[in-house]
Amino acid sequence: MFTEIPGLLVVTWALLGLAIYAGYRQNWQLRSVAADGGYLSGLGFESEKPTGLFRWLTTVDHKDIGVLYIVFATGAALWGGTDAMMIRTELFTAGTDVWSPDTYNALFTAHGFTMLFFFATPAFTGLANYFIPILVGADDMAFPRINAIAFWLLPPSLLLVRGGLVTEVLGKMLATVGVRWELLFSLKPPTTGWTLYTPHSALLANPQVDLVLLGLHLSGLATVMAAINIIVTIFTERGEQITWANLDIFSWTLLTTSGIILFAFPVLGSSLLMLVADRNFGTTFFAVEGGGPILWQHLFWFFGHPEVYILVLPAFGLVSLILPKFAGRKLFGFKFIVYSTLAIGVLSFGVWAHHMFATGMDPRLRASFMAVSLAIAIPSAVKTFNWMATLWGGNVRWAAPQIFCVGGIMTFIVGGVTGVFLASIPVDLVLHDTYYVVGHFHFIVMGVITFAAFAASYYWFPLLTGRMFNRRLGRIHGYLSIVGVFVTFMPLILIGYGGLPRRFASYPAAFEPLQQISSFGAVIIGVGVVIWLTNLVQSYRLGPIVTDADVWNLRESGQFSREWQWFETQLEERTKFRR
Amino acid sequence: MNRPLSAIAGGVTGIAVMSLLLLFLEVETRSNLAIFESVARFAGMPGNVTFGFILFVLAGVFAWPLAFMALERYIPGGPDPATRGMVLAVALWVVFVLTGRGGLSGGLLAIYVIFTLLAHLCYGFLLGAVYGRLTSEGPLEPERYDPSDVSQ
Ligand code: HEM
Ligand SMILES: [Cu+2]
Repeated sequence: MFTEIPGLLVVTWALLGLAIYAGYRQNWQLRSVAADGGYLSGLGFESEKPTGLFRWLTTVDHKDIGVLYIVFATGAALWGGTDAMMIRTELFTAGTDVWSPDTYNALFTAHGFTMLFFFATPAFTGLANYFIPILVGADDMAFPRINAIAFWLLPPSLLLVRGGLVTEVLGKMLATVGVRWELLFSLKPPTTGWTLYTPHSALLANPQVDLVLLGLHLSGLATVMAAINIIVTIFTERGEQITWANLDIFSWTLLTTSGIILFAFPVLGSSLLMLVADRNFGTTFFAVEGGGPILWQHLFWFFGHPEVYILVLPAFGLVSLILPKFAGRKLFGFKFIVYSTLAIGVLSFGVWAHHMFATGMDPRLRASFMAVSLAIAIPSAVKTFNWMATLWGGNVRWAAPQIFCVGGIMTFIVGGVTGVFLASIPVDLVLHDTYYVVGHFHFIVMGVITFAAFAASYYWFPLLTGRMFNRRLGRIHGYLSIVGVFVTFMPLILIGYGGLPRRFASYPAAFEPLQQISSFGAVIIGVGVVIWLTNLVQSYRLGPIVTDADVWNLRESGQFSREWQWFETQLEERTKFRR
Repeated sequence: MNRPLSAIAGGVTGIAVMSLLLLFLEVETRSNLAIFESVARFAGMPGNVTFGFILFVLAGVFAWPLAFMALERYIPGGPDPATRGMVLAVALWVVFVLTGRGGLSGGLLAIYVIFTLLAHLCYGFLLGAVYGRLTSEGPLEPERYDPSDVSQ
């Protein structure tokens, strides 16, 4: 019935009526404008930077670039999150009844690319850019211009990777004004999965696959540039008081991460170019009669496994940095956390074939990879126990950042333990490519990695914006996220035990209840994200102004660390300019 | 800036971003939602996407912002105009979903409901925020954050 009445008319007439009534009540007097709070920062202070858009396009200041990275990563996360919601919608029912199988394949492919390369990595690079120079007492990053280039390569690479959608949007825009340009509709979203396994990825005719490969290559260049910058900054730009002995834990983890990037990403870059050549120039690197599809898997995972540590080490660093601040104690076993980080950095290159146990490789080789994979669990466990020991007997305050740190540890334990099982060959042969794997790595990527990013967003929000967020909403977001991750991904572990293979749009009806619980959990996570975004945007506009740099009461436990001391001098300078 | 113009500026910003979001949603869902058909139905022009969309834009640029300006002080959520804008947008969204949803059902309907709500919230937020920014005469003495206040 409703569908027959034009809603536009209903709304316009209703609003018109109300407006006339309101005007009548107000006598149509355009009342003089009262300040209504809809303005930005009350912290007017002088700066030699240009203003407006120009500032953001030309900046080489590490803080501005850090902010650009963070904003970019947030946008990418929301986009990848949209994909996730669409995946979960399809999986709500057993049949293929929402999207087509092709669209489904495109969705998880785009989701993986976007989250790994354009959300997680840039988010941490952004934090590193903002805080490492401050933490190590440098004026800026070692190479400010390269820093800017590294950031500005990311938007084009995201455009290349998700280009088909963007060109189609353009095409549709042109079509509304009557121009139809078929070329813009020729790129279909790729369906390769983020692992780009050959021969599938080599044989797909869709030209968008080539753009994806080039886009990933470009993002790899950007990542390597940023990594070199971080390494050189920490080695050569440290202030006089900062030695290797008192370098903070966040810088240590970022240094290790950057080291891994330096060795892993070039391998990805070359393999991508080889695949481009296979697709376009008739080379046979990965063809069955050439190097074979297994060569791709080796090269990809030689990058791919270190990549997961590239993502998780900064998260560990943030947890190690933030957790003690809200436990009122120093980080327990600082040295061991550093050593375990370095150990992970080295070992991460020796485990890649655990992704290939099911390919029929030599059993002796398999066994040695299993041994190293089990060994890498040890440094991870060292960290977990150190965090617990830090909390033990501490005076824990459940502020939003702390909820996310502890929630991150919880999810990491589940993600890590399920990972140890996967590292064992007989178990992996059963669970490989089932939903168990999806559950396992999401406890880490959606658990500790994203949680650490949320924790940092709350912890440093006052420093970044000069305002405070709504702390109750922050805590609600924290609890929602923890519940959401368990409700979403526990069922996937169980579904995997049931043997359901992943990456299919339809599945036997017996799995429907668990899949539906999982989709329900995804909605919980989504609600949390909306709360987070609203809270931070509105607090940035309207939140209470910070005048005392010690927002988290860190002085009383002697943890008023360098970035907050820096913030204190900033606040002093700003108040000097304020009349 | 004068109030009606500020409201229209808010409407232009809001509608621009919202149309782009809807377009992305349309492409991302591989046209399964037929979102612009919904817009046309909402505008009372079922089947005529172009005209429906034009009416939709005109309403979003002129009708609603001006009504927002007149009604502002009666809308809950103040004093922040952006919050009020979002409240207004939710009301608009309810009508949009009721009249525009067409034959969608199941998962597609869920996606349609959630993402059109988010798009409307963006519209309302931008409408109110831009309007508030252009009409405000300078900052209030802002509230200070007191770290020892744990009630927050
Ligand atoms: C609400 C949050 C999320 C939900 C509901 C979600 C859901 C899913 C699902 C169901 C799949 C499996 C698709 C399939 O194999 O059939 C998947 C794959 C994946 N997700 Fe997520 N995800 C979320 C967040 C994240 C985050 C934050 C990251 C990374 C930082 C991430 C990285 C990945 C990767 C790498 C894959 C594998 C893609 C592939 O198979 O090629 N996800 N996600
Ligand atoms: Cu691995």
